[in-house]
Amino acid sequence: MAAVTKEQVGGFLARQGILVAFAVFMVGFTLANQRFVDPDNILGVIRSSAILGVMALGVTFVVISGNLDLSVGSMMSFSTIVVLDLHDKIGPALAIPAMFAMTLCLGAFIGFLVGYLKLNSLIVTLGMLSAIHGLTLTYSGGQNMDIADKEGTWFDFFGQGSALGIPVPILIFVLLAAVLGVVLSKTPFGRKVYAVGGNGTAATFSGIRRARVVFTCYLISAFCVATAGLLQASRSLGSQNTVGQGLELEVLAAVILGGASLLGGSGTIFKTVIGVLILGFIQNGLLLVGLQFYVQYVVTWIIIILAVWLDIAAKRGKLWSPIA
Amino acid sequence: MKIRNLLAATTAATALAGAAFAAGHETMKIGITQNNVGVDSYQTTYEKAFIAAADANDAVETVVLDAGGDVARQIAQMEDLIQQEVDAIIIWPTNGEAVIPAVRKAYQAGIPVIVTNSNIAEPGFDFVKSFSGPDNITQGARSAEIMCDKFKDMGIENEAKVVHITGQPGYTTAIERAKGFNDRLPEVCPNVEQIDQQPGDWNREKSQKVMEAFLVKYDDIDGVYAGDDNMGVGALNAAKAAGREGIIFVGATNFAVGYEAMERGEYWGSIYQSPVDDAEAALQTAIDVLKGEEVPFLNYFDTPKITQDNMSEFTKPVF
Repeated sequence: MAAVTKEQVGGFLARQGILVAFAVFMVGFTLANQRFVDPDNILGVIRSSAILGVMALGVTFVVISGNLDLSVGSMMSFSTIVVLDLHDKIGPALAIPAMFAMTLCLGAFIGFLVGYLKLNSLIVTLGMLSAIHGLTLTYSGGQNMDIADKEGTWFDFFGQGSALGIPVPILIFVLLAAVLGVVLSKTPFGRKVYAVGGNGTAATFSGIRRARVVFTCYLISAFCVATAGLLQASRSLGSQNTVGQGLELEVLAAVILGGASLLGGSGTIFKTVIGVLILGFIQNGLLLVGLQFYVQYVVTWIIIILAVWLDIAAKRGKLWSPIA
Repeated sequence: MKIRNLLAATTAATALAGAAFAAGHETMKIGITQNNVGVDSYQTTYEKAFIAAADANDAVETVVLDAGGDVARQIAQMEDLIQQEVDAIIIWPTNGEAVIPAVRKAYQAGIPVIVTNSNIAEPGFDFVKSFSGPDNITQGARSAEIMCDKFKDMGIENEAKVVHITGQPGYTTAIERAKGFNDRLPEVCPNVEQIDQQPGDWNREKSQKVMEAFLVKYDDIDGVYAGDDNMGVGALNAAKAAGREGIIFVGATNFAVGYEAMERGEYWGSIYQSPVDDAEAALQTAIDVLKGEEVPFLNYFDTPKITQDNMSEFTKPVF
């Protein structure tokens, strides 16, 4: 014990404040209800967080590059509806790549507007939020989409299956997080994303092609959204047109909770994953504690603020800043 | 004398006008402003059924509008319809409070207003001829009866435990159905205990998450009541994934997915609410009002119980 100095503890807290916050909540919920730490419950929460989580991975890239993506919720509804519809028309083996292609087109369009035309990402993606919603409704004619033969399809594998005893959505989430984590932290492209978000002008003068980096970030985001749509569709084998509605804010909350700066230039995939898990476990924990749901909205918000505060406090080593 | 003559003349004229409508010499022009067509299958089907019913009736001419969920647009549409001097206006309120001034304007212009599907707030009742739609409190109560009857069949009406997944907090339909269920269940099955109630926000995925938490929290769940079948099927999916069998699922607003789950024997019952009946009832109410017939202020169309036992009497919902 003597080997661990106060400075080392302080340094760890400063780097991993959000992990500390996460641990605090986990202990708190466990004390409130023992079943919270039941392995089935833990797996269940991670599984249902996987959809949000996969989307948050892509948005992390966009946010670090200094932009926003508010269209992911309605884009996810679009992917879900499209893949369910095509499943019955051309079969799952073709429907999945077709859906990915269509979703990537949407991502490319946004990437073009924000990256090459340099339009404000807030305006572009806010517009796309409702434009894609309209597109989805036009596509489906407003009808709920359901797979006709729910028993005789292998399509449920992605959302309901499991491999090695672990639900497939978790495997996909972990795999994608690992790959994108490496891309962001270990590759030249990843460094360019930080550079563009941190100081765009400096990045340009260093010979980085900003437009291409931003464009690629939106493609990654669209790819993640398509994956989330696949998980969602496969999980319930049917969907209403508004399935992703409001998720854009939850995704953004998870990313920010993970410590990514809305101004760009900072954040990591690992911390986004922690942010996603905190949101998932808060929702589940409050249900298990059995608080009345009107109160839950308020408590969720308080916990998020608390987490952000713990994170900041750990970074500066004090609970409050002496300099206002 | 003069006044009496005038009165008589007016009465005769009114009667004539009514007779003219009835005989089909003159067409009735009925305008409708809907809430948000296309946002869900129920509203989409409603609009199709409304137009079909109006087309089938030679005495009716319609102006069909949709507010796209936007209160301001709906108010503008009400004003348009008043300007066009339609004979009656049917409104599916985007917001029960905010549309009241527009409804009053129509009332002042002498145009009868019929509210369809979900009612406007009480301060506006004076300006409305009739409300045509489902009775959500009765629907909730009937769901409680379906649940209780099934428990009695199974012989567990003295120990059964129920969880309840409601619609979006703050929505009239969600509040009324929950109230109907919560009030009726203790009357018919006093020993059945409702152990938890949480919102599923009319969303299948959200409902599945809520049910997953319930399954972790409670070892013993005998029945689930969901505010509509969409959420009910979400809860059913959660129970199936967790391998928990023998739970009785009862919903409301029978959806195609709910109907199919009933066919598979996994889902016990629901309330049959047809958007076609809803649309036809609204049009008929407007026609009756224009013909001068007596129409009750709350003109509910029937939404019967549907269970695995009697589902063959119903066609599969189209939404």
